[in-house]
Amino acid sequence: MRQKAMLRQSSRFLMPLLTPLCLAVVLFLSSCSAPETGSRWEETPTQPATTVSSDEILPGSQFNQFFPPDGNGYERVYSQEKSGFAEAKLKQNGTDLAMLAVSDTAANPPAVTKYESSNRTIAGYPAVVLGDTASSILVGDRIQVKVLSRDSSFTATDREAWIQKFDLAGLERLVK
Amino acid sequence: MSKSIYELVDELPERNMTVYALRSLDFALPGEWDNVIGFENTIGKVTGETNEALIQQIGERAIQLFNDKSQGYQRALWLYQTIDKTGGALGTAALANKVGEKVPFLGFLNQITPKAEKAQTIDLSLKLVTEVVAFCQINGIPGDSIGDFVRALGDYSGESLMRMAALVSFDGIVPLGPNFIRQAGSVLNRLGPKELEENSAFQRLRDLIPGKSTAQQLGFIEASFNSTKDWMGSFVAQKGITPEKITRSFQKFVDIADDKLDYFGAFLDISTNYYEHTGVQTLARRLVERAIAEI
Repeated sequence: MRQKAMLRQSSRFLMPLLTPLCLAVVLFLSSCSAPETGSRWEETPTQPATTVSSDEILPGSQFNQFFPPDGNGYERVYSQEKSGFAEAKLKQNGTDLAMLAVSDTAANPPAVTKYESSNRTIAGYPAVVLGDTASSILVGDRIQVKVLSRDSSFTATDREAWIQKFDLAGLERLVK
Repeated sequence: MSKSIYELVDELPERNMTVYALRSLDFALPGEWDNVIGFENTIGKVTGETNEALIQQIGERAIQLFNDKSQGYQRALWLYQTIDKTGGALGTAALANKVGEKVPFLGFLNQITPKAEKAQTIDLSLKLVTEVVAFCQINGIPGDSIGDFVRALGDYSGESLMRMAALVSFDGIVPLGPNFIRQAGSVLNRLGPKELEENSAFQRLRDLIPGKSTAQQLGFIEASFNSTKDWMGSFVAQKGITPEKITRSFQKFVDIADDKLDYFGAFLDISTNYYEHTGVQTLARRLVERAIAEI
């Protein structure tokens, strides 16, 4: 009788202590067996809706003629030509200096947003610097001209200079 | 589409027989190939950007572009994967637990049969055609534009150049010998459409090889070979690639006896997937380059 009473008493005393302890153990174990957090890319949104129908997106082949010509020791090597996109490498003595790119933002409308807060221009067009390697402008409210450094010697000033070597008026005529 | 591009790049092995085989070609292309694996890592390496939010934006755009079937990237992936499936199944399963130690080559001999010259020539030619067509799919050039491809070969670098080095070494020089170009050329000349149709690799790939009939497709295969043979010949000469150098370099990784070299080509064929491995790296690079330019 006395033993039972003692047991009851000690359990009454221990319970408030044991409950949080058990809870902690359960939480710890369940956190161990919880599924791993997925990749940061799992939630990638689907392709954004285009602002024009897919056949109205300008083909990359239309942009090529407006790229800066090679010469003066610079070599221009076209690398990609897809719907709404054209890109070329800028090389000097075999080294990749930069990538030169033109894209139709109608195929990727979110690209335009960053120009809304831009307070500077290059050749009269709204200009933006992205990260450490990219400078771009928006021509005719639709065509993005971007130069990306691929060598540390190719600075933001170089990028701006090369943006102006595109035939920007020619590109604007494609959309105006 | 079974996997997204980020999964494919994340799952690229850091070390396996394919990586060892490619590394063994370092004697010809010192420092040319860095086994870049992991999607985020690839974005950082290709763009030089470190800002997390920007990397996220670039990655998301690259994934969207890959997922859009009309862009051709998935077709290029299919080509790179399919040409590598023609070898055999020894690869990953049997060799998985051997990675990290020198593989005893002899243990696999009973599973290896060297291919006949004709089958090997078709393999070599089809890998070349795969590169031509995948290049056109990735870069947006009409699929039969061999001329554009040959011009671009001069600008190949990194994993793309390594893929070509492995092609001439592992599918040319090793199985066919130092005169592989002449030898393969003469086999191709004698090859008829019917023989081509019997080849299992051709059967898998035929839907994506330009041409309305097998005869036309054979014509495209011959044209691809003939247009690139000069490039292959001068590449081998410039880089000093010989059968001896290839095997000696590879012997660092695999315990292959000198009198069993006949089996070396067949062993590589069934234990590596260098087209798929470097193909995924090329795709990821092109997608990332485009993504950062478009966002």
